[in-house]
Amino acid sequence: MNSRRTVHAYLLLIPGLGLILAFTGVVIGMAVSQSFGFLNFSGESAFSTRFWQSATADPQLWRAFWYSARISVISAVLAVALAYPLALWLRKPFPGSTLIGAVLKAPLLVHGLVAAFLFINFISFQGFLNLALVKLGIIARPMRLQNDPYGIGVVFLQVWKQMPFALLILTGAVQAIGEDILNAARDLGAAGLSRFRKIIVPLTLRSLQAALILIFIGAAGDFSFQVVAGPTSINSMAQFMLRAQTSGMDGWNVAAVVAVLLMLLSLFGAMILAGATQFFARVGRA
Amino acid sequence: MSVLSITDARIWFGSYEALKGISVSVEQGQLVTLLGPSGCGKTTLLKAIAGFIALDAGAITIDGADMTGVPPERRNTAMCFQSYALFPHLSVYENIAFGLRQKGTAKAELESRVRASAAQVSLEAQLQKLPSQLSGGQQQRVALARALAVRPGVILFDEPLSNLDARLRDQVRFEIRQLQKAHGFTAVYVTHDQAEALAMSDLVVVMNAGAIEQAGTPHDVYYRPVNRFVADFVGTANIMPVQVIGEDPTRDVYRVNSPLGELEIQSNEAPISDRIYAMWRPEDATAADHRDGTPNVFEFNVKAQSFLGNLTDLVVSPTGSDVSYRIQILGQTEIADGTRKSFHIDSRKVRFLKERVQ
Repeated sequence: MNSRRTVHAYLLLIPGLGLILAFTGVVIGMAVSQSFGFLNFSGESAFSTRFWQSATADPQLWRAFWYSARISVISAVLAVALAYPLALWLRKPFPGSTLIGAVLKAPLLVHGLVAAFLFINFISFQGFLNLALVKLGIIARPMRLQNDPYGIGVVFLQVWKQMPFALLILTGAVQAIGEDILNAARDLGAAGLSRFRKIIVPLTLRSLQAALILIFIGAAGDFSFQVVAGPTSINSMAQFMLRAQTSGMDGWNVAAVVAVLLMLLSLFGAMILAGATQFFARVGRA
Repeated sequence: MSVLSITDARIWFGSYEALKGISVSVEQGQLVTLLGPSGCGKTTLLKAIAGFIALDAGAITIDGADMTGVPPERRNTAMCFQSYALFPHLSVYENIAFGLRQKGTAKAELESRVRASAAQVSLEAQLQKLPSQLSGGQQQRVALARALAVRPGVILFDEPLSNLDARLRDQVRFEIRQLQKAHGFTAVYVTHDQAEALAMSDLVVVMNAGAIEQAGTPHDVYYRPVNRFVADFVGTANIMPVQVIGEDPTRDVYRVNSPLGELEIQSNEAPISDRIYAMWRPEDATAADHRDGTPNVFEFNVKAQSFLGNLTDLVVSPTGSDVSYRIQILGQTEIADGTRKSFHIDSRKVRFLKERVQ
């Protein structure tokens, strides 16, 4: 391809890719600029690191940061861990497999906020679960389950909501592995676990990484599950960003610092997850 | 003792009986071909030997051990798939080493066996490449090397050449047979290509609709087919209903009435009935100048012909009949379409089939 044709090819990409890059660039650029005092909504625009200094000195920010990181890693890993065996099970069609697949993907149709309220209704002090346990004589008095301090409810909701998404990605990848390839491995002496480690995981690694990263990024920026079902003693990063924005004159700039940290969490978290899966896949194959 | 023994193997898929009581024995070092049209059950039988499909009745033994309930990974077999089934994420080296690693082969032994197997199929220079970087013929050789490396009791070939072009198919077919003879491995080879079966096999098992029609040497199934299906499927055959009208026991010659007229058949096997099918091959007829009273000389109308390079294929009909027969003449012929020509059919080349005319 000569240089003229190369230029043409890039020009043709502009309407699609250019738009995406422009919007992404504008948002990221604004967040980074505001975190350093530019594009200031509440005062003079000038370079300053004071917003970073004040935000990073706040221990609540780091609690929110590590809480979001923990919740999103656990949610992503659990969702993929649940989706993987289901994808393998549904790899070959059998009577009822289409219905099972549809039911498993149903949470994709339920809005997260609705799911969170349903979940709270289910586990609340006077909710169905507590009433059932009391009626069955398993517990004497209702337990406090909602807004648990460890964020178990949020993880549950994240997994419930994101597992079908992981299933969708992984089912396609698993189904793309030819039956002959698995039979060949079996014929050469590979039992179930060995086939999984040496054939299925390496051949679905890209999809596995994509599912993990997308779920991780979604969970890291979660707001609605955290507000409805999350612990009251700790904020998620998205929650903390909103709180920072309304906290005073420097609110927008501090919120921009939190936003940049959230983006960095997503970026490095995604890289670490991708690297970790690559490492474990290599170890498993050996 | 047979390396592989299949006894009364039966498989149903729902109400459809895919295998109807198959029995075959394969001796050490034999290459046995399962030959038949699509849907005849040959691949089902191969998968049953490998353990991918369980028998509903009957038994399979490998090296004397009953394979009932034994999963594929614990059977002493290795399969070469139609699709090659190479692991796309592993190099040629790792593909060949896969089975050896599963068996826990020591590192030095593994290395030497991988290199030896690669050398057997002339792939030493390709060991670090991925399968996607190889041609179809090379990929098929990797699959063969992978199977050879684990030194299985039986190698199973599932139409391994069907994805190759005609020229490469001939070459790889020859290579597989050479390797099989050189290393003496036992093999079961599935194909629907009769030329492949005849060229490679020690024993050909012709299958149809889940049952064995005939099992024999390539020579037997070609020259002594038992019924119309085998005669027609293995090569090209001219099949005729005949009525036995006389016999000369001193010469083993039978006189029969056929659609061509009165015909002599020399056979050391007596026909199983007076009304029976007989067959002759297109190459068993030779041009005759005159119908001078010699037995088995008949006049035909030449309806069409096709030049195939080394021979010419004629479609002919006896005078006064619409029934078509095939005759093959070596090289190019000067016979024009629409002309009449006499041909002699060698009485020793006409065979009685073991199938009565109903």
